[in-house]
Amino acid sequence: MDLSQYAELFLAESREHLSACNQLLLEWERAPASPVPVGGLFRAVHTVKGMAATMGYARVTDVAHRTENLLDLLRRGSQPATDDLLQLLFRARDSLEQAVELSVVGREDEIDAAEILADLDGAAAALAGPGGRPAPAPGPAPAVEAPAVAGRLVQVTLRSEAPLKGGRALLVLKKAQALGPVRNVTPSETAFESDDFDGRFSFRIETTAQAADVERVVRAAGDVEHLTVGGEERRAPSPGAAPGAAQAPDAKSRHIRVDLRRLDGLMDLIGELVTARGRLNELAAQRRDPAVDDVAIQISRLSTELQAEIIQARMTPVWQVFDRFPRLVRDLARELGKQVAFRVEGKEIELDRAILDELGDPLLHLLRNAVDHGIEAPAERRSRGKKPEGEIVLAAVRERASVVISVSDDGRGIARAKILERAKRDGVVDPHAEALSDDQLLRVLARPGFSTAESVTSVSGRGVGIDVAMTRIRALGGSIDIRSQEGKGTTFVLRLPVTLAIVRALIAGVGAERYALPLTYVSETVEFGVQATTTVEGREAIVLRDRVVPLVHLRRLLGVTGDAPSRCPIIVLEMGDRRSGIVVDGMLGQQEIVVKGFDAPQGTLPVFSGATIMGDGIPALILDAGGLL
Amino acid sequence: MSDARVVRLLVFRVGQLVCAAEADRVREILPRLAPTRIPGAPPVVAGLMNVRGTLVTVVEGWRALRQPPPPAEAGEGAGGSGTTVLLEVDGGKKVLGFTVDEVVDLLSVGGEALERRQALPGIDPTLVRAVGRRAGQLFVVLDTDALLTPILSS
Repeated sequence: MDLSQYAELFLAESREHLSACNQLLLEWERAPASPVPVGGLFRAVHTVKGMAATMGYARVTDVAHRTENLLDLLRRGSQPATDDLLQLLFRARDSLEQAVELSVVGREDEIDAAEILADLDGAAAALAGPGGRPAPAPGPAPAVEAPAVAGRLVQVTLRSEAPLKGGRALLVLKKAQALGPVRNVTPSETAFESDDFDGRFSFRIETTAQAADVERVVRAAGDVEHLTVGGEERRAPSPGAAPGAAQAPDAKSRHIRVDLRRLDGLMDLIGELVTARGRLNELAAQRRDPAVDDVAIQISRLSTELQAEIIQARMTPVWQVFDRFPRLVRDLARELGKQVAFRVEGKEIELDRAILDELGDPLLHLLRNAVDHGIEAPAERRSRGKKPEGEIVLAAVRERASVVISVSDDGRGIARAKILERAKRDGVVDPHAEALSDDQLLRVLARPGFSTAESVTSVSGRGVGIDVAMTRIRALGGSIDIRSQEGKGTTFVLRLPVTLAIVRALIAGVGAERYALPLTYVSETVEFGVQATTTVEGREAIVLRDRVVPLVHLRRLLGVTGDAPSRCPIIVLEMGDRRSGIVVDGMLGQQEIVVKGFDAPQGTLPVFSGATIMGDGIPALILDAGGLL
Repeated sequence: MSDARVVRLLVFRVGQLVCAAEADRVREILPRLAPTRIPGAPPVVAGLMNVRGTLVTVVEGWRALRQPPPPAEAGEGAGGSGTTVLLEVDGGKKVLGFTVDEVVDLLSVGGEALERRQALPGIDPTLVRAVGRRAGQLFVVLDTDALLTPILSS
C-alpha cells in the first residue's frame, strides 16, 4: 500500500486533533479540577498515535504513546492539573506537532524528542507512585487471560474507502472501552498497524449496556460500515436519521477534504472556460445555427452556475483561522505576566478562503497589541477597580454582504492626549485641534513607524502592525475602524467582503471620468475614425469582418460634457450574437477590480453593475455589458 | 419627541439655513471630497464617495433643501470646502452622505426646547420634524428619512 497519498490527509487530521489538544489544554488550565479535558486529550493523542502508526511514523508514534501514557495516568487517577503538568503537556503537544510536520515531509530524523520523552516518562513515573511502574499503554488490549468467551461479541467492518483504518479501529476499541472491558481483539492491535489490515475486526466487551448503546458508541468512532453486536446485526441508520448523535458518521461523510490548490485550479479553469465560452459564442454567432446557439446559451448558463458553485465551495468558516489564537493569546499573556480571558464568537461565520488566509497576520497583530498594550498587569487593573483578569473578545458577525470581525479588549484604552500631542507635532492634525476623533486616531496610529520613532509610554508599539494590518485589509476590499475609550478598552473593527468578486476589467476614460468594463464580454478593440462608419436602422455602426456592429458613444450616453477626440478606441462587446461597439475617449489600461455594490439613486442609468475603488482611492463605476448591448 | 426625553442634535449650516439631525442617525463626519458622478442620477445626488473601502452615495445638501447654490458652486462644479455628514437612513440599513457648509454644534435639548411648529419659511414642511432655538436663532430639525429615502430607488 502506498502511504504517501495519505500523508496529506494524515497531516490535516493530525493538525485538527492537535488543534483540539490546544483548546482542551486551555480549557483544563482554566478549570484544573474538571475531568472532561483529560479524556478528550487522551482520545485526541491516541488517535494521532493510531494514524501515525499506520503511516509508519515511528517517532510520532513514540511521542504520542508516551504522552498518552501520562494522560492515561492522569485520567485514571482523576488528578487535577498542576501548572507543571500543564506546561509539560503543552510542550508535549508542541513536540508532537513538530514531529508530525517533519515526518510528513520526510525529515523524521530531525525530530529531537529525547528531552520531552524523558520529561514525560519522569512525570509518569512520579504519578505512578513509589515502586510503581508506568501503566502499560492502554492501546494493547489486556487480552492476557481472557476467560474464554465472556462478554458480547462485536464484529466491525470499516468503510472500505476509510483512510487510516488502523487508527479508526483503535478509536473504536477506545470508544468501546468506555462501556466496559474489551477483550479478544481479533486480529490483534498490532495487526491494525499493518498495511494489509482490511478494516474487519472483532472483540468481546463485558458490559451491561444495550446493544443499541454499544452500536452508538462504536459508530461514534466514525467510518464504521457494518456492525454486529452479540450476533445481532446492527444496520447502519439511514442518512440524516441519526438521533442525538452530534458527531454521527453520516454527518461527517457529507464533507470531504479538498486541497485549496485544487480549488484555485478549478477557479483558473473556470476562467478559461469563460474565455472558451466567449469563443463558442462567437462561433455560434458566425454559424447562425439555432441548434448551436442553444448549446452556446446553455454552456454560458452552466459555466456561470459552475463559477458560483466554486465560489461557494471556497467559503470557509472562520474557526479555521481563529482556532490557533487561544493558545497564542495564552502564551503571550503568560510571557507578559498578564491574566487574560480570551473569548471567540461567531466561529461558524464563513468567508472566501482567499480572504480568510490573508486575515491571520492582521488579526495576530491586533491580538498581540491587545494583550501587550491593551490589557493592564493584574496589579494595575486591581488598583483601577477592575477584575485582575482582562478580557479579549474576537468576534465574527455576518452583516449582509460583508463580514465584520472585531477584536476588543477591556484594557486601558489609548491615551488620546499623548497621541494628539504627537499628531500635532507631526502635522497629522490641525495644531489647534482639541481632541482626536476615532478616525483621526486610527490615521495617526496607522502611520508607518509611528510608535518606533519615540516611546509614547503607555501606547508604545501601538502603531506597529496597524499600518500593515490596514494595508492588508484594504487590499481585500475591507476597512478597519477603531473605537477606544481611555480606561475602558479598545476595539478594532474589520469589515470584509464575504467573497472577493474580482474581475479583470478594461479601464476606459471619457472626459475626466473613468469607467471599468469587465473583460468578460469584450471581444476586441478597434479605432474609431479609422474604421468607416455606416448607418444601419438609424444607428451609427461599423462593419467588422462582414458583421454590422452598432456603436454606442459612451460620452453621449453618460452625458459627459465636452468634445470627443477625433480618433478614439471602440471597445467591441459581444454577448451571444449581440454585438456593440462602445466608443470611449481613451483606454487607461487593464486591471483586476473588486466589484462592490452601491446604493443607486433614482434615475441612475441602467448600465452599471456596481462600482469599484481605483488605485488612487476614487470610485469608478463598472459598466454592465448586458446593459450596453 | 416627548417632553421628558433628551435629544442630542447635530446642528449644521446649509447656505443660510441652520438645520439639525438627530445625532443618533449620524454615523460619521468627514471632510468633503469630490465625489464620482453617477450618470443619470438627479442633480441632488453629488455622486459616490469612498469611505474607507465602502461606497457611499452623497446627496448635495443645498439642492436637497432647495437653498441657493454656494458661491463656489456658481463657478466650478463640485468639490471645494465643506463637510459631508454620513447619515443612517431606512432604520440604519443604509448610509448616505449629506453635504453641508459646516457643522455648527452638538446640542442636547429637552423635548420642550423644540417648539412644536412644523415649519419655517423657506423650507418644505414635510421635511421638518420640529423647530428648535439655539443662541436666539431658530433651526429646523430635519426628518432625514423623508429627505433622503425618496432619492434612493426602491
